[in-house]
Amino acid sequence: MNNYLDLSIKEIHELLVAKKITPVDLVEECYTRIGENSDLNSFITLNKTEAIEYARKLAEEEVEVDNLLWGIPIAIKDNISTKNIRTTCASKMLENYVPIYDATVIEKVKAAKMIIIGKTNMDEFAMGSASRTSYFGAPKNPVDKTKITGGSSGGSASCVAGNLVPIALGSDTGGSIRQPASYTGIVGMKPTYGRVSRYGLIAYGSSLDQIGPMTRNVYENALLLNTLVGKDKKDLTSVEREKEDFTRLIGKNIDGMKIAIPEFFVSSIVSPIIIEKLNHVVEILKENGATVEYVDMKYLDQVVTIYQIITMGEASSNLARFDGVKFGYRAENSESVEDMYANTRYEGFGTEVKRRIMVGSYLLSGENAKIYYDKALMIRNALKQEFNKFFEKYDFVFGPTTTTVAYGLDENLDDPRKSFMDDTLVMPVNMAGLPGINIPMGKDSDNMPIGLHIIGAHFEEARMYQIASFLENKLK
Amino acid sequence: MDKLTKEEVLHVAHLARIKVTDDEIEKYQVDLKKLLDDVDKIKDIEVESSELLVTPVEHESILRNDQDTRSVDFNEIKKNVPATTGNFVEVPVMVNE
Amino acid sequence: MNDYKTTIGIEVHCELKTNSKMFSDSINNYGGVANVNINEVDFALPGTLPCMNEYGIELGLKAALALNCEINKKVVFDRKNYFYPDLPKGYQITQARNPIGVNGYVEIEVDGVKKKIGIHDIHIEEDTCKSTHAETKSYLDFNRNGVPLIEIVSEPDMSNEKEAMAYLEKLRELLLYTNVSDCKMEEGSMRCDVNVSVSKTDKLGTRTETKNIGSISSVGRAILAEAKRQIEELEAGREILEETRRFDEKKDCTILMRVKETGNDYRYFPEPNLPPYTLEDSFINRVKENMEVLPDVRRKTYLDAGIHPVNVEKIIANKEISDYLLGLNCNLVIASNLLLGEISAYLNKTEKKLEETKLSKEKFTVLVNKLDSKEINNQIFKEIVDTLMETEEDINKLVENQKANALSETDLTNIVEKLILENPESVEDYKQGKDRAIKYLMGQIMKETRGKADPALANQLLLQKLSEQ
Repeated sequence: MNNYLDLSIKEIHELLVAKKITPVDLVEECYTRIGENSDLNSFITLNKTEAIEYARKLAEEEVEVDNLLWGIPIAIKDNISTKNIRTTCASKMLENYVPIYDATVIEKVKAAKMIIIGKTNMDEFAMGSASRTSYFGAPKNPVDKTKITGGSSGGSASCVAGNLVPIALGSDTGGSIRQPASYTGIVGMKPTYGRVSRYGLIAYGSSLDQIGPMTRNVYENALLLNTLVGKDKKDLTSVEREKEDFTRLIGKNIDGMKIAIPEFFVSSIVSPIIIEKLNHVVEILKENGATVEYVDMKYLDQVVTIYQIITMGEASSNLARFDGVKFGYRAENSESVEDMYANTRYEGFGTEVKRRIMVGSYLLSGENAKIYYDKALMIRNALKQEFNKFFEKYDFVFGPTTTTVAYGLDENLDDPRKSFMDDTLVMPVNMAGLPGINIPMGKDSDNMPIGLHIIGAHFEEARMYQIASFLENKLK
Repeated sequence: MDKLTKEEVLHVAHLARIKVTDDEIEKYQVDLKKLLDDVDKIKDIEVESSELLVTPVEHESILRNDQDTRSVDFNEIKKNVPATTGNFVEVPVMVNE
Repeated sequence: MNDYKTTIGIEVHCELKTNSKMFSDSINNYGGVANVNINEVDFALPGTLPCMNEYGIELGLKAALALNCEINKKVVFDRKNYFYPDLPKGYQITQARNPIGVNGYVEIEVDGVKKKIGIHDIHIEEDTCKSTHAETKSYLDFNRNGVPLIEIVSEPDMSNEKEAMAYLEKLRELLLYTNVSDCKMEEGSMRCDVNVSVSKTDKLGTRTETKNIGSISSVGRAILAEAKRQIEELEAGREILEETRRFDEKKDCTILMRVKETGNDYRYFPEPNLPPYTLEDSFINRVKENMEVLPDVRRKTYLDAGIHPVNVEKIIANKEISDYLLGLNCNLVIASNLLLGEISAYLNKTEKKLEETKLSKEKFTVLVNKLDSKEINNQIFKEIVDTLMETEEDINKLVENQKANALSETDLTNIVEKLILENPESVEDYKQGKDRAIKYLMGQIMKETRGKADPALANQLLLQKLSEQ
């Protein structure tokens, strides 16, 4: 058995160009590893026949020498619409739903000649922080299979961390890329809101959702982001930007960079071991010419509240289309339309989803819309202004990605609030539409990964990759 | 313990068009109350902004040309429709017409 | 019973005449085969997003301008959430918080009295699926889903059915003339919901809403019936409830559909998928400048030109003719008579539209001028009208030929004299004052000339010659 998948994408590319291997070798190795690690439960649906067939077709073609992602296997989170590949959102509601169209990012992935290996496990409709709300059972953390992967992009994190597939797409509404990346020790970027088209991403919180890359290292993350971005006329929230190479600043030093660390991010809610690792990062930064200041930033401690209101409100509306009429599950033997609705949604949705839709419907009903939703949007605006203020003075805001390391798969099952609290440090980024990236910054005594969270100003991804890559090297 | 009344649970369940069975209702009374207590904290937050931030990155919509059109064959769409009759989507009879 | 005042407000939905839908790029056309003008957006497939139709926004703006509204330059949308199978997303995209137009008005005239009816707001939204019902199943056609709509909400400024009908006629006229909508109530591209309340005091009574009334005249009947019902209820000591009702055309009464739930809970919130679109002043000005000539302006032009008020209304009611008259530089009285008379008859007979005929405006102007200068008479026009409509033949030549072919006055005089000589009994009858003599002789003249004689001239000559007998 060859271990091509342990190589970097650059090294794999060189082998492909030299015709020492073909994409078939890569794809077959992926499926072998997935088979050997089926207990990780990283995937909901595999695309095996089509992937191998496509790899064979690519093997007949010339390798695109300038396209490092040519023939590279990729895993896709199961809330991204893939034509002819079942897309379930980890829900019984969509257990048999096979999309008839590709999400814009999937068109881009295909245009770059990447090979789709399968659809990864996740929290049902991306609602959760441990991927345990999946109708198909929770994925496991490759570092310790008794631990959660985090969520909602748990399957993508699991398969990349387990090196089953080199790269994956996740989506992030309140930390769903960065938090599982932190728990499993990989690199996960949530780009600026509007960077990547959401067309085909099954919505949870429309004003917060963003697709992003999950990879083994910073360089490959930047590489994948290169192919994902761009204005899409099908998504009016996507933004027109000049084309840029996100890898271009990688390797440059960080002399003179100014970093702020909000006090809330190092408060008592964070485990001491994680603070310790962050302190080590601060030392490295200072040694290399960057400045670090601890600052007081408003609203950060209230983000969970506004996140709950905005996401549950938007979700209650976004998930109204799952009513048994047009696609997905329909409860049988309903005599009236009202029966069909109530039964379909009762039987098709899991507990977490139902709870959030119910609360969301309540929050928007009658006068509540003003009391809760409008006020949440005001605070959201104030929080964004607060970030803007800091980005006038600082290049980045740093903090830990999570308050603890990954916990046991059977822990904290009962508290409906826990899934929100797990993301308390990463939610502010989605609120303000900012880019945020997780990179590993060490391990605890049980070898569980600890993640560093870097927040940049809008559209500052390239500079974030610069500092992330610098630290990645120093922390090796 | 602090919890919602059964009627309150049934009201929000109806808003969301989700059936709640008798054996589940008690758990909802407690769980929903916890979440509602959480979101109630918003009432105590003081905020200086009165502007609503709907979408986080400031930019304008770009409009679509009316003349560009595209259709998808119903036979494609039909593959995922739970029940059809001819070219129609079928549902139990609608009331309130 | 007569001391009750009726108060009426009306909500009108009109479909916009766009090529594609408001928030999807499928074709705006329904009524044919079910589920053909659809794509994944109309079916609300998971992951799909709305996009905005530029022309839909433009038509909404145009309607708002035509209804004298203040314009909200920042175009934003909200979601109106409710569950119904004809609403695929589970919400309708609409403008609840910031409608494109507010505080407008239209002017109506009832029995010679003018009145302004306030427009509370006009907003852009999308239509729902069409459903048909059988005993235990309903069937959905998504072709109509997403068709651009405007909803026009009036102030409760109308106090009887005549005003309500005049208001609707006026709205329809404005939207037709601005090419915003084809406003066909029978096909559902214009729909009315009427709010009616009655009260003895200045405080408004509880109102009911009567939905989806099929025609403007039915709106009038529904208002009368509903006001009568409410007064009877109150007189009987009962309360009026906030209800949704429908109008039964056959029984001439309104029927309860449902009692309104306490405050309709549509869970409105701003649509996060549609960032704002700002209407630039240059865009608004362009729409204003390109606005069609509005019907009231046209009315004034026609009346000033001396067209009879009855004919003015006939022209306004026929947009094709009204548009044809625009910019014509000739005698409008003659022009309108021709268009409403022989030309309309021709169009009806051949089932053609004016633009499908060969009657260019230039040709028509020459024709009107010839009639105006008495170069030709009506008889000649009638002879050549079919040829004018159907061929490119030069009008001057046509007229010359026709004249050559036509009877000269001398010829006609000769024929009249000959017929008088041949019919002495009729002359005798005439002298005794019997009318049928004239009728008979005229018939003979027409027979003799094979209809070519100008009846007016023939009549004049006949009387003259008879009096000489």
